[in-house]
Amino acid sequence: MSFAYLLRRILTSIPTVLFVVFVVFIVIHLVPGDVVDMMLGTQNYLTKEQIEQLYKQYGLDKPLIVQFGVWLKNLFTLNFGTSLRTGRRVIDLIFDRFPVTLELSVLSMFFATVIGIPLGIVAAIKKNSFVDGLVRVIGLIGLSSPSFWVGAILIVIFSGTFKGFNIFGYVHLREDFLRNLQVMFLPSLTLGLMLSAQIMRMTRSSMLDVLQQEYIRTAKAKGVSYSQLIAKHALKNALIPIVTLSGIQLGYLLAGTIVIENMFALPGLGRLLLQAVNERDYPVIQFVVMFIAMLIVVLNILIDFVYTLIDPRVELR
Amino acid sequence: MNRTLKKFLKRPLNLVSLSLIVMILIVATLPSTFAPHSPYAMDYDAILEGPSLKHPFGTDQFGRDIFSRCIYGLQKSVIIAFSSIMFASFIGTVLGLTAGYYGGVWDLLIMRLCDGLFAFPSLILALFIVALFGSNLVNLIVAIGIVYVPIFARTVRGAALSLRETLFVKASKVIGKSDLKIMIGDVLPNLSSVLIVTFTTNLSTAFLTEASLGFLGLSVPPPEPTLGGLVSQGTAFLLSAPWISLFPGFVIALVVLALNVLGDGLRDVLDPRNK
Repeated sequence: MSFAYLLRRILTSIPTVLFVVFVVFIVIHLVPGDVVDMMLGTQNYLTKEQIEQLYKQYGLDKPLIVQFGVWLKNLFTLNFGTSLRTGRRVIDLIFDRFPVTLELSVLSMFFATVIGIPLGIVAAIKKNSFVDGLVRVIGLIGLSSPSFWVGAILIVIFSGTFKGFNIFGYVHLREDFLRNLQVMFLPSLTLGLMLSAQIMRMTRSSMLDVLQQEYIRTAKAKGVSYSQLIAKHALKNALIPIVTLSGIQLGYLLAGTIVIENMFALPGLGRLLLQAVNERDYPVIQFVVMFIAMLIVVLNILIDFVYTLIDPRVELR
Repeated sequence: MNRTLKKFLKRPLNLVSLSLIVMILIVATLPSTFAPHSPYAMDYDAILEGPSLKHPFGTDQFGRDIFSRCIYGLQKSVIIAFSSIMFASFIGTVLGLTAGYYGGVWDLLIMRLCDGLFAFPSLILALFIVALFGSNLVNLIVAIGIVYVPIFARTVRGAALSLRETLFVKASKVIGKSDLKIMIGDVLPNLSSVLIVTFTTNLSTAFLTEASLGFLGLSVPPPEPTLGGLVSQGTAFLLSAPWISLFPGFVIALVVLALNVLGDGLRDVLDPRNK
């Protein structure tokens, strides 16, 4: 775990970041019409001079390459512009909404690991048994079900069984902690169940791999108790691919929450994005998309890093 | 190939998923034959009715038959998912094949391009494109397809890279075959099993992406039924008429499950590591 490695990893991801920035810029400019057209809408209340003024203000009268330069400069100074609909700064909007998405992601990961890892271990230990078959079938179904369908089923079950349970009506964490957890429960369980299917499958195959290895046989021969063998010797090594998978999932979760946030009316980043899409609020759309892409690049660097922490055999080159 | 086919058909699960897929394809190509009602026909005597013989999946708040709407939605979803993966496999194979075969700067460029595209989660990238260019059939196909281009490009590149060093490719070079002929005649046929597996496994996720876009209201616009859109429409009636959401969702899960089982089965018989 060296500083030089981290630096190199950051430097090599710069082309990716630049590419992301470039793609978002180009795509926005490929759209028929520009920001001014969008602001004007179908009715034209402004004189020709005023429209030209607007073009100047947004720098749209300059060549494309200059516009890209200005855009890059704005990015580095975190000047993300303002929302066309609410007039609020986009960066404020993102920082407002991101914590909700983050909380949802962390809670979902919690459910996913708590459900997925034990089931995966049991399936691996009792390979080819009825339990194993059941776990594998459930895993395959979980992998194939759309999250909004699982969410709908959970809503039907929960509202039927627990009458006083608050499914909707988001409250901020600081306002009412318990109520917040209650409202977050079903959305995170939904996402957690979806992810647990993948984690379960990965745990099973990873455990099976490890259990076949020499050192496990040695430990068995030495008379290590079975529970110790599984918990201490096997699981520790089986965890490595699971951690990688969870890291990748976390990145995609931050985006996957968009469906669930809209289903459960949670004011997170995904809902902000969809709202912006429906209102054609282009500054918000482009920066939320870019924010998510950047986050995934950063997360990937972090995963590589965590990887080396749990597995000393991995060398950082 | 015949032996592989026999091996594939020997497993009952593969057979079940294959026949399910064939059935889905038949229903999706001839929706008017299988749908008992028009997907738009309203019946004010049967509003929010539960499943019955007349309406197997029940009706919605306008008395429209959910079963028929599912069938027409299925048709759209199948067309979009299949076309987008066709699009992705074509572009991705061309990029990956040339990158792996020629190497050098071109390879580097293509791979960085893939890295960049991978930074976008699939749903977000598709949503971004659809949101900006509008959600008609062609835009949807391209938007979902672009997401899968890097997956095909990387897979094909890896395989092409190792094939480039094989004796028969080198021999073709020596006898003076052109690069294009080698790529199409020698390298591509050896990629067929990799391509088939990548195609089926990604078809299921493309189907899910389309359904998610539909749920968010960004697939083909209403009144055209989409499977995701039907689930979304039903969320307002989850407590009084759960069938509006639950049946279309079940159809999505069934199609994706069949594709996943098919993909797993194909991988088992086609992957050289399993032989």
